[in-house]
Amino acid sequence: MAASQKLMSVSRDWRERDVRVVLVALIIAVATVATIALFASQLQRTLVSSASSFLAADRQLEAENGRPVPAGWIEEARDRGIETGQMIEFSTMVFGESGFQLVSVKAVSDEYPLRGDIEVQSRAEGTRSIVGSGPAKGEIWINPRLLRLLELDVGDTLEVGNLKLEISNLLLREPDGGFRLSSLAPRVMMHVDDVPATGVLQEGSRVEYIYLFAGAENLLNDYYQWLEPQLEPSHEWEGVRDGETFSRSLERAERFLLLGGSLAVLLAAVAVAVASRQYALSQRDTVALLKTLGLTGKGIGRLYLRRLALWGVAGIIGGLVLALPLFWLLARMLGSVLERPVDIYLDPAALAPALLTALVSLFAFAYPPVRRLRNVPAMRVLRSQPGETGREAVPDLIIAVLAIFGLVWMYAGELALVASLLGGLVLLLAVLGLVGWLMVSVLRKVRGGGNAWRLALVGLYRHRQASMAQMAVFAMTLMLAATLVLVRSSLLDDWQAQLPDDAPNHFLINIAPDTVDEVDAYWAQKGSPLDTVYPMVRGRLTELNDQPVKEAVSKDERINALNRELNLTWMEDLPDDNRVVEGEWFAAGVTEGVSVEAELAERLGLELGDRLTFTIGSEQVTEPVVSIRTVQWDSMKPNFYIAFPPDGGLTDMPATWITSFHLGASNKVALNEFSRRFPTVSVLEIDHIIERIQDIVRQVTQAIEAILALILAAALVVMAAVVSATLRDRQREGALLRTLGGQQSLLVRSTMLEFALLGFVAGILGVLAAEAAVYALQVRMFEGSFQWHWEVMLPVPLISALLLALFGRWQLRPVLSVSPMLLLRRLE
Amino acid sequence: MNQMTDLSKTDTSPMLRVTDLTHKVSLEADTLTILQGVNLEINRGESVAIVGRSGSGKTTLLGLLAGLDTPSEGKVELDGSEISRLSEDERAMLRARRVGFVFQSFQLLPALSALENVMLPLELAGIEAPEKRARELLERVGLGERLSHTPRQLSGGEQQRVAIARAFASDPVILFADEPTGNLDNRTGQAVSDLLMDLNREQGTTLVMVTHDDRLAARCGRQLHIEAGVLTEPELVEEVSG
Repeated sequence: MAASQKLMSVSRDWRERDVRVVLVALIIAVATVATIALFASQLQRTLVSSASSFLAADRQLEAENGRPVPAGWIEEARDRGIETGQMIEFSTMVFGESGFQLVSVKAVSDEYPLRGDIEVQSRAEGTRSIVGSGPAKGEIWINPRLLRLLELDVGDTLEVGNLKLEISNLLLREPDGGFRLSSLAPRVMMHVDDVPATGVLQEGSRVEYIYLFAGAENLLNDYYQWLEPQLEPSHEWEGVRDGETFSRSLERAERFLLLGGSLAVLLAAVAVAVASRQYALSQRDTVALLKTLGLTGKGIGRLYLRRLALWGVAGIIGGLVLALPLFWLLARMLGSVLERPVDIYLDPAALAPALLTALVSLFAFAYPPVRRLRNVPAMRVLRSQPGETGREAVPDLIIAVLAIFGLVWMYAGELALVASLLGGLVLLLAVLGLVGWLMVSVLRKVRGGGNAWRLALVGLYRHRQASMAQMAVFAMTLMLAATLVLVRSSLLDDWQAQLPDDAPNHFLINIAPDTVDEVDAYWAQKGSPLDTVYPMVRGRLTELNDQPVKEAVSKDERINALNRELNLTWMEDLPDDNRVVEGEWFAAGVTEGVSVEAELAERLGLELGDRLTFTIGSEQVTEPVVSIRTVQWDSMKPNFYIAFPPDGGLTDMPATWITSFHLGASNKVALNEFSRRFPTVSVLEIDHIIERIQDIVRQVTQAIEAILALILAAALVVMAAVVSATLRDRQREGALLRTLGGQQSLLVRSTMLEFALLGFVAGILGVLAAEAAVYALQVRMFEGSFQWHWEVMLPVPLISALLLALFGRWQLRPVLSVSPMLLLRRLE
Repeated sequence: MNQMTDLSKTDTSPMLRVTDLTHKVSLEADTLTILQGVNLEINRGESVAIVGRSGSGKTTLLGLLAGLDTPSEGKVELDGSEISRLSEDERAMLRARRVGFVFQSFQLLPALSALENVMLPLELAGIEAPEKRARELLERVGLGERLSHTPRQLSGGEQQRVAIARAFASDPVILFADEPTGNLDNRTGQAVSDLLMDLNREQGTTLVMVTHDDRLAARCGRQLHIEAGVLTEPELVEEVSG
């Protein structure tokens, strides 16, 4: 091999510590980003498919006008390669041998469900089983409650209109058992082809035709583009992303993954920058010699550029080789959490950010110090030249900051996130400057001596430039790692707080005003007291400032709230989890005005004082907006877009009452007695939905934990890079000290103390900067609340001190294990 | 290229001509004058020793003569090119073809074997069959059996012999040596200087050597003294005073 080629071989470079650190940092950056991107894509797919099963499809088209949609629409979807299915939902009376009961019928086609599955039981107390399709023609599946209400058994027949159907299964759970109001009566499921024979559906019957679609995201989007212009107001196109409950969990999870990804890249970038600067410094002699032997500046530039490219290729390959098994492991974990196998999906698009990360890390963080090698004077071969001044590194710093900004922006797509992190970093650097100044002015007065403390302080002062740089990097590393840990735990706490074990899992709807107290007493006696009971009035928002609302609002905005009747309420107190963001909550005695949910207000462009007109039955009510409030849609409690004050605009309107409560599994049998005593009250059982949400939260938690582990690995590499930066100098000093008669124990104690002090100060700074960043993130990005994290204030600096002291001890090893003479000669 | 080198060796113009050379470095507070009004001519094939105490400016002078640095004032012409007016890259290219170096601290690349260290300047100058030439030179300096050894596996004297082989590899017209025996014991130093002088004679190279070793200086055809940045030539002084 030619000598100049050999100068550039990766295998030779690998023998140099600084190159190893650069390569390891690159590999970690690429591996982290690739793993996160692959996993995020997988998680999204899995979550969406798991959330899709809430729709039993990827998309639903609902026709609320009681008429099927044109057959051509469905044919078009099939032509485009989209799977389709159909459901018809209506309420009707069914007749058993001993009586009749109002039921909510869901008639499904053979394809149902396109996503998710159905849980059935072949007889009461029998084993539960999961099936992938609905009842066959001639059969009917019923809610077990109906069994008791009508004193039926599996195998009996049930009359639906003119048609007799055989009860072949008990229906325990359907994938799309959501919050549809038509599904309040006990559910029965039959085949869609049997519906005409029942003769139940007449012109004008209240019926919903629901069409299911499943397929690739782009196919669905293209189809919707085609379909949209033809939709009427009574048609509603629904995707998972529109479902408020799950989209929020998804969004948070995604944001967190992205945040984790950005932090990991930042850490790796710091490691790359530190190690490559160190590498560049160590290459100065070689460059001077090559120049003396006649290599031009351009040649030097090419030589090192080619070398960087080689590192890049090695980093990318190494990173991907590491990422694939990691991703596979995470996907497997996901499968075990979900208790079902996960189809591993290697998204090629997920590799792009990894490649970009490698390139940016190389060119923004590794290249600048290496590029300056061409300026090393040839004269250095004869005599050591003054080293670099800090000023030459300023452009590097600017490039690095811009690159960090760009990378974080790319990953998180959030200016708020970029600003929070950079704000934290700037604050950190400012405080560091102050600490540095203090350190120099205080430590200058310390004189050396045979005391470990003094030697440690003198050491800090003597290496003040390196000490400050190390402190900056340690503090930054700690800040980033602490930010992530803090955001993680508050994110998870938030989630758990959102859905505690006793979260409401049943709704009672349609409670007549005169039975509210009786219902309340019934459940109090059964040991499952009700939450607040709210009145509910169905009405449509028809005018905004005396203009028809659909004209007042931009045509581009498709607002679900405008397409259907809204549940209006009146309330005296603001619910605990609501927050007024504009205006004032109704004062006692006030009867005017309405309070509007914040997102609806934003989409309608509402401001305080705007006048809203509601059509309720044949009446019209007009009230000004007096407050705008946020609502926790995922709280599993009744939530309302619009609230009136007591004795306000809704007085005398026909209202029914609604509430939610927690009912333990063992107490479910109480529902049967309840249904018999209060036949008009509808019970909505959402306990299985809550279990699903908890599944999703668990899934995301696992992912977050795995990513955290990757990031902490990146943090360790950064630490190693920084510590090894001064290794040679320190070893030489240690050897000299020993040569001059210093005792080993003194050397060990003073070095460990020096590093412990460094680590302690860096720990304090890192935690404070992390708090600042967490504050900004919590408030701006995750819409959570901020609390000081006193519990980490002391442990982090202490752990950081201990960790660094051990690092310091570890790097002294060669100084202690060999004779000073040998060491000095080796370091020559 | 070889033809060009041969032509220059038969040339009668001086190999190195220095006119009114002054070198200053600016420190924080004031300016330090390291070399003051140096005038010098070195003919082709001559061997010249520059002798002086530590800090007298001899290494700076060597760097300026070899084009590793540029003077504050004055002119340096090397083999007909005014190197003090060339750009850094032009000077590098000139060094690649016409200049060889031997250093006190050997300056071998630790990652390369002895053979590769010698091949490096040949490759940089674009000379064909670099390995054959490198082998010949290493055999000539007595290291034919140590081709694959890295500097760490060689003694100081052996490392300096590799460095000498490297210095002569690209067939330079002029060789600069900075304290070539400064890091070696007497006996090894003697052997290395023998080798250096022999090769220099064989190749007909011009030699400019900086040293504070009087015995080594005495083996050169001409000796220059430098003190506090001022260059003097003893024989000339004697002639003038005699």
